Amino acid sequence: MRNPLLRPRALVAAGAAAALALSAAACGDSGESDADLTWWHIQNQDPLMSTWQEFADDFAAENDITIDVQAIENQAFKDRMGTASQSGDVPDIFHTWGGGVLAEQVEAGLVQDLTGKLDCIDQINPIALEPYTIDGKLYGMPFDAGVVGFWYNMDLFAEAGISQPPATWDEFLAAVQALKDAGIAPIALAGADRWPGHYYWTYLVMRTVGLDGLEAAAEAGDFSGEGFIQAGEMLADLAAMEPFQPGFESAVYGEADGQSAVMGEGLAAMELMGQWAPQAQRDNSGTDGPENLGFFPFPTVEGGAGTTTEWLGGGNGYAVAADAPDEALDFLCNFMEPENYSRAITEGNLTPVAADTASVAPELNEDTQKVVDALASATGTQLYLDQAYPPAIGGVINEATEGLILGQLTPEDFVAMVNEAWAAEA
Amino acid sequence: MTLKESPRVSPVTGRPDRSRGRKPARRSGRPGAGTLASFIAPGLVLFLLFVLLPVAFAAYVAFFRWNGLGGIPTEFVGLENFRNMLQDEVFLGDLWRLGLIVVLSLLVQLPLSFGLAMLLHQRFPGRTAFRLLFFVPYVLTEAVTAVLFRLVFSPRRGFADSLLADLGIDAHVGWLSDRNIVMFVIFAILTWKFFGFHMILFLAGRQNIPDELYEAAAIDGATGAQAFRSITLPLMGPTVRMIVFLSVIGTVQLFDLVYVLTGGGPFHASETLAITMYEQGFQRNQIGYASALSIAMFLISLVFALFYQRLVLNRDLQGSITTAGGRS
Repeated sequence: MRNPLLRPRALVAAGAAAALALSAAACGDSGESDADLTWWHIQNQDPLMSTWQEFADDFAAENDITIDVQAIENQAFKDRMGTASQSGDVPDIFHTWGGGVLAEQVEAGLVQDLTGKLDCIDQINPIALEPYTIDGKLYGMPFDAGVVGFWYNMDLFAEAGISQPPATWDEFLAAVQALKDAGIAPIALAGADRWPGHYYWTYLVMRTVGLDGLEAAAEAGDFSGEGFIQAGEMLADLAAMEPFQPGFESAVYGEADGQSAVMGEGLAAMELMGQWAPQAQRDNSGTDGPENLGFFPFPTVEGGAGTTTEWLGGGNGYAVAADAPDEALDFLCNFMEPENYSRAITEGNLTPVAADTASVAPELNEDTQKVVDALASATGTQLYLDQAYPPAIGGVINEATEGLILGQLTPEDFVAMVNEAWAAEA
Repeated sequence: MTLKESPRVSPVTGRPDRSRGRKPARRSGRPGAGTLASFIAPGLVLFLLFVLLPVAFAAYVAFFRWNGLGGIPTEFVGLENFRNMLQDEVFLGDLWRLGLIVVLSLLVQLPLSFGLAMLLHQRFPGRTAFRLLFFVPYVLTEAVTAVLFRLVFSPRRGFADSLLADLGIDAHVGWLSDRNIVMFVIFAILTWKFFGFHMILFLAGRQNIPDELYEAAAIDGATGAQAFRSITLPLMGPTVRMIVFLSVIGTVQLFDLVYVLTGGGPFHASETLAITMYEQGFQRNQIGYASALSIAMFLISLVFALFYQRLVLNRDLQGSITTAGGRS
C-alpha cells in the first residue's frame, strides 16, 4: 500500500486538515456565522464576560435561537469593527460609544434606526441617549454612562503628604512633584494605546477654552486658538516632569503590566480614566485594587473658561445592524429587564443609565456612586474626542497627543496636525 | 542525472519501472490550444480574481479620497495621496527603518545563520537535536512570538530585566519603550525567529556540494580555509542570493510581529510600511491614502524583485542548476 492516503493515520490527518481549512474559511472576520444572532462586545473579562454569556444563553434558550457571542478586547474590537464596516457586513449587535464613529457607520447604511422600536427605551435616562442620537434618530442603546476623572490612591497621596486632592492645575503639578519626591510614580499611563493620553489634552482644552470654545473649534475645523496652544504647552510641561510609570511608552491599558494593573497594584498614585477604572484595576492586576480609592475632577486652569462640573465622558452601548432580525431588538431590551440590569450593575459595577436608578440599583458600589454623583451635578459633558469626531480626526488627535507627551511634537505641531486633518475631512 | 541508475519502482504497480529506460513516447506537435486553456484556466481565474483584480482596484482607489464605507469611491483627488505620502514623515521613517532592518539582516542575521549551518554540517553527537532546536522559533507564528517577547521585555517583571538583575546589573532598560533602542530589540527578535529558517536553507545548500570536490582539493594540498573560499562560498552562491531575496521581500512586508509587540510605537519609532497602511486604512478609514501606501509597497517589492532577478539571480536562472536536463 504505497498510496499514503490509504493509511488510516494519514487519512485522519488529511480529514483534520480539511476540516480545519473549512472552519477557517467559515469564520471570516465579518461576523458571518450560522447563529441566528451574532454579538460582539468588549466585556472580555470576568465577571461581566460570564454574565453577558449567561444573558445570551438564557435569551437563546427562551426564544429557541442561537447566539454567537464574541468577547473582544477593546483595541482589537475597534480594528475588527473597522474591517467589518468596510466589508459592509457588521454583526447583528455590536458595541458602540456613539459619536462620530457611529455616525460614519450610520451614513454607510450599516446601522438600524432604533427610534420608536425599543419598548424599554423610556426606562433609560434621556441624557444617556445623546451620544447615540444622530439627526434626531436613535441608533444605539446605552447600558452604562459615566465620566472620566482622576482615580487616586489615597494612601499614596497621604504618604506624599498631600492632604487634599488638587483643585487647580498648579496644585496638581505640585502634587505630582510631591509624589515624585516621595519616590512614588505619580501617574499610570498606557502610552502605546494613545487614547488614555488624549483624555489629558481634551480636559486641558475643556478647561482653557471651555466646552463652547471646543464646539466652535470643531465646527470651524480650526484649533489654532490661544487656549489650544496653551493646553498643549501644559501637557508638554507635565510630561517633562516625567510623572509616568517606568516603561509607560510601550504600556497598554489592559495588560498584566499595563496602566490599570499598575494602579491596581498600588504602583502609581493616580490615573485619568472613566467609570470602568476601578473594576479594570482589579481585573487586570488580579488584586482587590487599592484599599482607598478616591476620585477627583480634572483641575481647573487659572483664567480658563472651563469649570470642574464640566466632564469628559461617555458610555457604553449597543447598536444593531441594519439587516438584523427583530430578536436583536428584544435582546437589547432583555438587558433592561430590572432583574438582569441590576445584576449587571452589581456584578460589573456599571454606572447605571436607568431613569430610575434607585429601582434597579438601590445600593451602588462606593466607586460607582462617585461617578453617578458627578454625572448628577454635571453642568456639561463632552464625549471622548476620538469617538466624537470621525475616525480620521480622532486618530490624529490620539497620535498627536502621544507625540506631545513623548516630546516629539510641539504644541504648534499638534494644532497644525489636527487642523490639517479637519481640512482634509471637510 | 544519467540513465544508468538502478531501476525505479513504479509507485502504481510496485514493479520495476521500465518506462524511463525506453525512448520517451512523445506525441508529435504541441498540445492544442483547447487543452492548454483548460489546464491554465482554473489557476488563471483564481490569480486574476484574488491577485490582479485587488491590485488593480487598490491602484484605482489610491487616486480617491475614500473612507471605505458604502458603495464605490467617488471623490477623485488625482495624485494627492501620493504627494501627501512623500511628505509624510511617518512614511519616510518607514523607508528608513526598512533599510535599517535590511542592512542589519544582511550584515548580522544571514552571516550568523550561515556560520551555524557550517557548524551543523559537521558530524558530531546531537547534531540533529541542534538542527531541530534552532528551527523551532520559525515554527511559532509571528503573533505568538510577539506576545512571548512582550512578556520577556515587560518593564516590571520581564525576563530580560530580571536576568540582568541576576547578573548584578540593576538597570531598567526601556527595551520596547525607548525610541532609540526599540528597533534593535525588534531586529534581535526577528533574528531569533528567522535564523533557524535561513540556517536550514544554507544547510541544504551546503549538502548539495559534492564531497568529491573537497577530496580533490585536499589531495591538491588545499587548506580548510582555501577550500572554504574556493569551493564552499562560490557553490553556495545560488542559496545565498535566494535567501537575501527572501529576506528583503519579507522585511518589506513586516507586520504582525511588530504590530503585536509595539503597535509601531513609541510614536512611530518601530513603525513599518504595513503598519502605517493598516492604521490609515482600518483605524482611520482612509482607504484611499492606505491604498497609495500599499501601491508604494507593491512597487518597492516589484522593482526590487525585477532588478534583483535581472542583475543578481540571472546567473542562477540561466546556469547549470535550474535548466539541467531540460534541453540537453
